[in-house]
Amino acid sequence: MTIHNLYIFDKNGTLLFYTEWNRLKNSGITREEEAKLMYGMLFSIKSFVAKISPLDMKKGFLCYKTNKYALHYLETPTGLKFILNTDVNAHDVRELLQKIYSQVYVEYIVMNPVCKLDEPIKSELFKEKLDELIKNSPFFVSKSL
Amino acid sequence: ANELLLELLHSELVSYVTNVENKEPGSKQGNLSTLEYFGFSTGFRMIERLTKEWPRFKDELDTVKFMCTDFWSSVYKKPIDNLRTNHQGVYVLQDNAFRFMNKISTGTQYLDVAPMYIAYTSGLLRGALANLGINCHVTAEVQSMPTCKFHIQVQRN
Repeated sequence: MTIHNLYIFDKNGTLLFYTEWNRLKNSGITREEEAKLMYGMLFSIKSFVAKISPLDMKKGFLCYKTNKYALHYLETPTGLKFILNTDVNAHDVRELLQKIYSQVYVEYIVMNPVCKLDEPIKSELFKEKLDELIKNSPFFVSKSL
Repeated sequence: ANELLLELLHSELVSYVTNVENKEPGSKQGNLSTLEYFGFSTGFRMIERLTKEWPRFKDELDTVKFMCTDFWSSVYKKPIDNLRTNHQGVYVLQDNAFRFMNKISTGTQYLDVAPMYIAYTSGLLRGALANLGINCHVTAEVQSMPTCKFHIQVQRN
């Protein structure tokens, strides 16, 4: 099992942070374009899911899977969006996303007075702690395909 | 959540003081002495409250030791990690995980803003010692966050 990459968007769709661990195929477009595309797709999925749902939903859109990878989506009450791509067999990814939010983002970005909240993240400490959390998670294995 | 409040309020204080409108023309850091004075008056009052149940201190070293343990713990939830002195009125207090810097960086990133985040605490120390009858200068240095050294130089009359 493996973790591919992570996007963090704020509530206005600004890409706050992007990082990758095992990404074998590149999109062939710039990071900014890719981020816009990603955000646009998530935005559409969210409204699609909300409109088409036959029942009242609590959490809304959670994840999708293709035959090769799974995209996991976490939106906080404040509108922050965490997107993690993993392989299809990864489980408990929600828990990991929640941890990224509560143990890394809140602790090292929100509590860091030097970091502006609506700007891309530059803090080295944040990157370190994030990497540590991902690499210690039980399903991070760099798989050579 | 009490600690959260202190940390956030402190960072707002820092950003208020460093704000463009409060800056003297030409100064890069904003007005550090304002922050230091906030710390001084806080420390001056705080120590009265903290020592109300204590007997008098034996000597200067005893007082500084009190500052390192009880005083520091009550503000920063941990004692000072290292205390050194030359027995001639110079004390060096070292905190290896200074709370106002813990979340900022562990290294040299953002080192340029470090002085802003220690000014208040320097004042706090100076104010507390002043009320205990020790007049001193307090300076601080940061070489790598979040380790912080406070130098206390006692003024003898």
